[in-house]
Amino acid sequence: MIGFIKKDLAMIKGNMKVLVILFIVYVAMGFASEMNISFILPFMSVMIMLSTFSYDDFNKWDAYAVTLPNGRKNSVRAKYLTTFLIVLVVTILVMFFETMISYVHNNTIDFENVLLTVPITMLSTLLVEVMMYPAIYKWGIEKARIGIFGVVFGIEIVGSLLIKLIDFSKIASAFSILENYGLLLFMIGTLLSLVISYKISLKIYQRKEF
Amino acid sequence: MEIIISNSSSVPIYEQIKEQIKNQIISDELQAGELLPSIRSLARDLNISVITTKNAYMELEKEGYVKTIPAKGIYVAEKNMEMLKEEQLKKMEEHLEQAISLALLNKLSKEEFFSMIDILYEEEK
Amino acid sequence: MENILEVNNLTKEYDRFSLKNVSFNLPKGMIMGFIGENGAGKTTTIKAILDIIQNYRGEIKIFGLNSHEDSAMIKEDIGVVLDDMFFPEILTPNDINFAMKNIYKNWDSSLFQHYLELFSLEPKKIIKNFSKGMRKKLEIATALSHHPKLLILDEPTSGLDPVVRAEVMDIFQEFIQNEECSILLSSHITTDLEHIADYITFINDGEIILSTTSDELFNQYGIVKCGKEAFQKLDTSDYVKYKKNKYEYDVLVRDKKAFQRKYHMNVIDKITLDDLMVLMIKGEK
Repeated sequence: MIGFIKKDLAMIKGNMKVLVILFIVYVAMGFASEMNISFILPFMSVMIMLSTFSYDDFNKWDAYAVTLPNGRKNSVRAKYLTTFLIVLVVTILVMFFETMISYVHNNTIDFENVLLTVPITMLSTLLVEVMMYPAIYKWGIEKARIGIFGVVFGIEIVGSLLIKLIDFSKIASAFSILENYGLLLFMIGTLLSLVISYKISLKIYQRKEF
Repeated sequence: MEIIISNSSSVPIYEQIKEQIKNQIISDELQAGELLPSIRSLARDLNISVITTKNAYMELEKEGYVKTIPAKGIYVAEKNMEMLKEEQLKKMEEHLEQAISLALLNKLSKEEFFSMIDILYEEEK
Repeated sequence: MENILEVNNLTKEYDRFSLKNVSFNLPKGMIMGFIGENGAGKTTTIKAILDIIQNYRGEIKIFGLNSHEDSAMIKEDIGVVLDDMFFPEILTPNDINFAMKNIYKNWDSSLFQHYLELFSLEPKKIIKNFSKGMRKKLEIATALSHHPKLLILDEPTSGLDPVVRAEVMDIFQEFIQNEECSILLSSHITTDLEHIADYITFINDGEIILSTTSDELFNQYGIVKCGKEAFQKLDTSDYVKYKKNKYEYDVLVRDKKAFQRKYHMNVIDKITLDDLMVLMIKGEK
């Protein structure tokens, strides 16, 4: 499986120049405008991983991968682990620059903010990716991409409608009970979805014909 | 050892190989006890199928020109003079038969035919 | 002789095409040429052997093991070249080496480097910038570098010029110098196969219509050329297929010597794989 991770990392390395430039631009914008840069995290990690799926698809790597020892299992497992690795690395980078930005602008370090928002963004990012993968394995990256945009767009519309319709003060009080355990619950929830998503993807991929 | 294969010839390739090795054994270019290339390396070097070279060697072995020593290789066998002579006589017969049928076609008499042989025999000798 | 690959009654149905009871055996130490028209089922058969497609009926055995159940173990010893399926083109030969070290137990980096040099492939160039022929060479180098026992090659010489093709064919013949190693090789360049294949398996419209040693094929099969009158005297059981041309009939016979004894016809040509394919597919009975 390590070999498959190395292959995914080598692909990311192939795109490194573009990624670094993009990252620098965002960080520079952060420094200039005191903008919160945690949006980089989901944006970049999703972009990086989806591009590996696209390259795989373009050269029919999956069919070739099946001819390698334990190809089916290792392919899927490697994608999940690479995702985790990429999200982790980007998180660390974002945390570091976010701290720097707040220090440069305020001369203090807002640890509370950094330590709270960044992990939540990280978990949400993982959650998003984890929900996409079974769809990608089932329908292929090209179809899944359209589907993913559709779903995101749909959630946004439904969400904005709900905000208008629902009295949030009641719900907020219900959530206050969760507040203390919120982060922990969120973490467990994400991990659980990760495992479930992996199992589903693996099942789809094991049966797939190329 | 020299083997020249023609793809356009109507003679099967295994037979071309067999004949050429045989001739080289008869003419002493290949000595008894000499190690011959393996089935696989001969196939590789001639760019032909393994089964073809295998057939050639099998035929040669059947006719007593080579012998296979398991796990060692294929060697040129000791020449069996009687067998060789018989084979050559058979070949001679074939050629003579052809000559005779041509003689008959051209209505040559037996005497004319023999005198032709006499002349040629003296020339060759 | 032990078989390295056995395909028994492989059947797979698609909407517009199906494989029907495909069976053949590849003995150890041999090269099998797998021929047929485009769309005849060569690639589908190869995909089934490699477990890329799975829902089929029939049984495939590789190294004596079930190709599906013991897949992981089997694949350590198989090298493949597939038509248009490979590492993503953003990678370089060096990246392939980097990843393969941890994919195959027996991956041999120095052997891979050796092939890169032999084929003049730049190790740091991304695959995208290689020509089609260069890509094929890289695929072949990758297939050979873990010391496999069985090579399964789908059109490995397509896009290669004659000089490189000869070079590659030499490598394949070198490969079976080890009597434990075999090659299944599909190609539409039939002259490649005429030279080195020990067995020829011919698939047409999802069915195997011939699987035999090339020796038998080339020494026993023949094409009889004759006129209409002579053709009409032939027993239908004495030929396989025939094709009517403007001035003569081409008749494919299975045993040219027996045919000659029976009919005393003299114009019997040696057969080429191209003739065989054309007569088998387009000929009438």
